[in-house]
Amino acid sequence: MTPRSLGGATPAVLAVLLVACTGMAAVVATALGLFPLYGDPTPGLDGWRALGPDLAGALRETLTIAVSSTLIAAIAGLFVAQVILSEARSSRIVGALAAAVLAVPHLVGAASVSLLLANGGMAARVGGVDPGGWPRLVAGPWPIATVLELAWKESAFVALVVVAALGPGHRRRLETASVLGAGPWQRWSRVLLPTSLPATGAASLIVFVYIVGSYEVAALLGRTTPEPLPVLAFRLFGSIELTARPAAAAAATTGALLALVAAVAVLATIPSLRTAVAPRAVGRPGSRAGSRDSLQKTQSASRSSRP
Amino acid sequence: MRRPRRSSSKLSAQFGSAHFGSAHFGSAQFGSSLLGSGLLGSGLLGLALAASACAAPGNSDAASGTTASEQPWEQIVADAQGQTVDLWMYGGDDRANAYVDDVLAPAAKELGVTLRRVPVADTKDALQRVLAERAAGTTDGEVDLVWVNGDNFATGREADAWLCGWADTLPNREYVAEDDPLVASDFGVAVDGCESPWHKAQFTFAYDATRVDDPPTSLTGLLDWAREHPGRFTYPAPPDFTGSVFVRQALYAVSGGAAEVPSRFDQSTFDDLAPPLWDALTQVAPDLWREGTTYPRDSVALDRLFADGEVDFTMTYGPATLTELVADGTFPSTTKVLPLDEGTVGNASFLAIPASSGDSAGARVVANLALSPQQQAAKADPDTWGQFTVLDLDLLDAADRDLFAQLPQSPVVPPYEVLSRNAGPELSSDWVAPLDEGWRRQVLGQR
Repeated sequence: MTPRSLGGATPAVLAVLLVACTGMAAVVATALGLFPLYGDPTPGLDGWRALGPDLAGALRETLTIAVSSTLIAAIAGLFVAQVILSEARSSRIVGALAAAVLAVPHLVGAASVSLLLANGGMAARVGGVDPGGWPRLVAGPWPIATVLELAWKESAFVALVVVAALGPGHRRRLETASVLGAGPWQRWSRVLLPTSLPATGAASLIVFVYIVGSYEVAALLGRTTPEPLPVLAFRLFGSIELTARPAAAAAATTGALLALVAAVAVLATIPSLRTAVAPRAVGRPGSRAGSRDSLQKTQSASRSSRP
Repeated sequence: MRRPRRSSSKLSAQFGSAHFGSAHFGSAQFGSSLLGSGLLGSGLLGLALAASACAAPGNSDAASGTTASEQPWEQIVADAQGQTVDLWMYGGDDRANAYVDDVLAPAAKELGVTLRRVPVADTKDALQRVLAERAAGTTDGEVDLVWVNGDNFATGREADAWLCGWADTLPNREYVAEDDPLVASDFGVAVDGCESPWHKAQFTFAYDATRVDDPPTSLTGLLDWAREHPGRFTYPAPPDFTGSVFVRQALYAVSGGAAEVPSRFDQSTFDDLAPPLWDALTQVAPDLWREGTTYPRDSVALDRLFADGEVDFTMTYGPATLTELVADGTFPSTTKVLPLDEGTVGNASFLAIPASSGDSAGARVVANLALSPQQQAAKADPDTWGQFTVLDLDLLDAADRDLFAQLPQSPVVPPYEVLSRNAGPELSSDWVAPLDEGWRRQVLGQR
């Protein structure tokens, strides 16, 4: 990013910092007991202590939901992106469907999944299965319905991000590969997969961070215990016992930390995905022409090939 | 007269601060409610708090300004002319909405008052608006009337957010029995004319007669039935409102009756009474729906399980809905109300006027109208809303009494006299949080 473009972004960056940082500061201060609704501040980790055994369960549940939903969404999204990019007749329909799925609110999606997959739901009725004989997808021992809903909606997001990132240059690269004698498998493994990895990684990170903080799907489709962190935080926040607020803030802070750790780890990995891809890519990826890493790699590659 | 402070209660300790810092308290409550909506919301929390610190007026004398002025009723009616009253109420009950829009509002219009219904997802939302307005020193607030009871009323009372001393002076108050305990105190909090009764409710169990051959007659009998019929019974998970009532009802049953549980909370009584309750509920848990590893989220989720035939019992604090659910085919036509020998807990709900209301005269006219025999009878009609009246029929004249006698009988729900037989009082709202939290730790945590 040039200094000039950074200067242009200053108002937006300031607005984001103002909202996100004051908010985060208030939540962290509440969790640390510095921000009581009444009485003197009592700094300490009482918020986390009050969470007690719920914290480990909530972390485990959050990670289970976020990791499995993100993985499924990434794989399915990549597949859908491939269909959209294939320029077959069905690709436009699939593209329109993906855009439509993106427009469905998670709340509506979760309610629909509940009507469809619950033990007395439509799938059980159409299949003629007794409610007791239907698998426990909704509110069962594993968050299956929650993961399915999140993966379904987020796969559309991953697909559209990948399609946008590969852009028009994708067709040219495939043609070049064909001309050079690459078969369908090679075109997939040597062109599509490596060129789409950075976009898939970035989109998956957004999906993961979103799911770590998302409330409504797990609240509607999950079981009573253990709850993922946002559901735990919201329940404690709504408690008539106002002293539960530090605990609620502690749960929210834990979730934010989890998202932060994941973001730092993935953001550190994405450039290496790009550099790993660039020398091998057949054509220069058009939409990432501005990426310094890939540019430098391409330039240095072309320089070194010169006598 | 102020209620004595409950020294053992954390809640009162917090709201105690409202007496000298209600302004700050109110907006903190309002702002931080946004925290639940995520990081963005908590950003607003910070802004709201910052704003409240600047804007909060020094209103240490605010507590004194909440008693309604004593005016002749004719004066109040005259002041009310042309006022628009915003009634904030839970918006999730279609028949409640229809009653207010189609019956109450037109009647108010004839008295010169425009009644506007403001639906909220939870009465807490209305309360938080009231507390925020109170904090800002508003005298022309958006909230003129709230359908309220229980801890929301108690919270507003502690923060001095309600207009008081007006409800007993309404002309139609003469039809309400003076010694009616449900109307005199609201979940253990003295009403003191700070809210006007609207209707009564009775916690009610229902079952499907074709699936239950041997309906139990007591709550402990119901728990025994659940153990004999694995997977056929469950209850919503506290802190859900209905699940929370079930746990209180179970506390009465396990403790040997409502008389054994003092309405006022104290820790040592709780420590004596709670362990047998947790034992009873833990023992029955493996035989509940899904082996007690999970519970329905709320009464709607339980109703769905009942409608789908996954469980054989459901429960509600609003038995009026049973009539409708059976009529539209959601519940089987063989749904019956389960009477318990020991009776169930009952409560009344009320209309309260916030101290910050700008149209309090109009609100008083509407509250009086809502208490009239004509409106109470229309509301009690099972085809309209089916809410039980707060009036004492013996105090009505013959013509008005006839209005109630002519109401159609619900095919499902027995009359209030039957339903409320041996009714127990609600525990004070201080009991609710320890019971809910104890249930999560001791019953849910054991599975």
